[in-house]
Amino acid sequence: TMLALLSATTLVLVAGVPWMLPAAAGGTNLKSPQNVEVYIVDDTFILRWNRSSPSVRNVTFSADYQIHENGAWLQLPGCQSVASTECNFSSVKLNVYEEIKLRIRAKEGNNTSPWRYVDSFTLFEKAQIGPPKVHLEAEDKAIIVNISPPGTKGGGMWASDSSGFIYSLDIWKNSSSGERKTKTVYSRDKIYELSPETTYCLKVRARLLPRKTGAYSPVYCIKTAVENKLPPPENIQVEAKNQTYILKWDYAQENVTFHAQWLHAYLKKIPGDNSGKWKQIPNCKNVRTTQCVFPKNTFHKGIYLIRVRASDGNTTSVWSHEEKFDTQLQITLFPPVITMKPTNNASLRVYISAPGESENKPVNHLYPLIYEIVFWENTSNAERKILEKRTDFTFPQLKPLTVYCVKARALLQDERWNKSSVFSDIVCEKTKPGNTSKTWLIAGVCAALFSIPVVIYVMKLLFRCISYVFFPSSKPPSTIDEYFSEQPLRNLLLFTSEELTERCFIIENTNTITAVEETNQTDGEHKKYSSQTSQDSGNYSNEDESTGSKFSEEFLHQETE
Amino acid sequence: MTSRYILQTALLVYFSTTVLAMNYNLLRFQLSSSSVECQELLLQLNGTSKDCLKDRMNFKIPEEIQKSQKFQKEDIVLVTLEMFQKTSDIFRRNLSSMGWNESIVENLLATLHWQKEHLEEILEDIMQEENFTWDHRTLLHLKRYYLRIVRYLKAKEFSVCAWTIVQAEILKSFFFLDKLIDSLPN
Repeated sequence: TMLALLSATTLVLVAGVPWMLPAAAGGTNLKSPQNVEVYIVDDTFILRWNRSSPSVRNVTFSADYQIHENGAWLQLPGCQSVASTECNFSSVKLNVYEEIKLRIRAKEGNNTSPWRYVDSFTLFEKAQIGPPKVHLEAEDKAIIVNISPPGTKGGGMWASDSSGFIYSLDIWKNSSSGERKTKTVYSRDKIYELSPETTYCLKVRARLLPRKTGAYSPVYCIKTAVENKLPPPENIQVEAKNQTYILKWDYAQENVTFHAQWLHAYLKKIPGDNSGKWKQIPNCKNVRTTQCVFPKNTFHKGIYLIRVRASDGNTTSVWSHEEKFDTQLQITLFPPVITMKPTNNASLRVYISAPGESENKPVNHLYPLIYEIVFWENTSNAERKILEKRTDFTFPQLKPLTVYCVKARALLQDERWNKSSVFSDIVCEKTKPGNTSKTWLIAGVCAALFSIPVVIYVMKLLFRCISYVFFPSSKPPSTIDEYFSEQPLRNLLLFTSEELTERCFIIENTNTITAVEETNQTDGEHKKYSSQTSQDSGNYSNEDESTGSKFSEEFLHQETE
Repeated sequence: MTSRYILQTALLVYFSTTVLAMNYNLLRFQLSSSSVECQELLLQLNGTSKDCLKDRMNFKIPEEIQKSQKFQKEDIVLVTLEMFQKTSDIFRRNLSSMGWNESIVENLLATLHWQKEHLEEILEDIMQEENFTWDHRTLLHLKRYYLRIVRYLKAKEFSVCAWTIVQAEILKSFFFLDKLIDSLPN
């Protein structure tokens, strides 16, 4: 019966639950949307979510947004009563750098689900960079690229950052052996060193530091033109000399005049046409030589672009490659000064300094320099070349007592500028004997170990000496024991060392006393002895009086008789 | 075998850290000289005799910059890049009302650009070498700050007073930039 009762109650409960629950919840069984995500590309803002239950019903979704903490929830435009699982809220007028919060819920008839919240975010941080637009123009050996930044022109997500875009371009020949090259280009740039009458394809994407990389543009293909009779100059270089710059280039043909121009490199970073902003380089118009000289003060500190073209009177070539010219990298590199010191363990410590500076002062890092160091043993020809950025370093663990030589030259850290100084003077040094320090160390340790007991012993002796002299022992030497084995005498001797004040019975004899006095001045041993004995006998007073007095009495008795 | 690899990796780490350390030494020098040059050029832009007190505005420079909070050196590179970039963007706008010497403005833009390019190179190196977690928050606050300045200029229609106020604000931002540069490790 108990079992029956239990089963009955469980049945009732199980049956009753589905009726009871809706009543308690007030009739809503709508769940809020799940996996809500914000997806932003340039100026398109999309909100996506999943339905909580996949069944097809008349469910719509609505979203709100909130700008300030505890502010009002405003309706998100484009996301009101949406039937699908995504909505586009691009029309919302918001500062892309402001934090916003979103919430979304489902609605079916009169039922609404609870709100599903999206954590606070900024539109900028979630935005992805879309594809840029590319326009191409072909020359014979180059392609002119004109890139428009992604997003809306003059506004939108990237309004403040558009000048910070870095474009990277992939280019390849359309033929089967399409080897891809990737280059970083300006928004208006040229791809050089191409073959004429060839079809090239390319695609571009924009990047924003630190970590935003955009989507690639579609692939664009273009065919380069027929080869020009008059090619542009090549291998443009700028050298600094005293107060001037020397601009040089290579050109195969003769009887042509050249024309050189410059542009601020920063103008390339602004979208738009800068072709009108190229300026004349002084002394570099209609020159017949493949170089021209102009004063250094033409250029303030900065990065510039230089281009040259040739003209033979009838035709002019296209502009050359726009060579980047950084004024701060136009320096004559002086050879460094090397000092070498042999250190322990057969090593050589090398100090590099700029000419005119001591080895202790750090090199003036005006330019990013690295040093190419050539290192060899004096007797052999085998050279070791290393590149080193530090100005104070060590060649460790070389052969001991060998002469090594070193020379170095300064190089610019930037590989694009192949600048180097001449080699410095050769410096040679001999290494110290190896293991010297080791053996000396071991010897030193052993010596220390041995010396400790020696020192202790010596100290002990000294102490004994000192204590013997200044703090004499009250004990008589042990040799006395050998001679005086009798106990009473021993006691006598022992006690005389102590300072005892006793009552003395002096038996006076004036004769003996004067004799004592006399004999004290003159020599005479036996006289001395006798007076002493009488004196002594008088003074033999000790504890053992009976023996003492007996002894003295005996003596006296002998004397007087 | 393993001990040899350990030595090699230790050497690699040591050399890479010295390389990075050298870069920051040079960078610090370059940044402070660029900053000084920019401030000198900014001061050369002549002011106005107009009374612009009513146009004053608190642009609320980010607290992290103002209180020179301790940044990691990589974040300093990013922040200084942003400051040079945005300053350059501002001074490329409509300056016609001011009648400022064009060559001074060009030199200012050239110096800002020069420093920006070198900062970008270092930033690219940092990104390749480490998987660094950037301080996005400070960067975002900086972007908001410069947007406030640009919006102010637009709202005031690039008037003389607006530019004067902005010139002063940019000089103030360079003051904080100098403190940031000084906090770069040696």
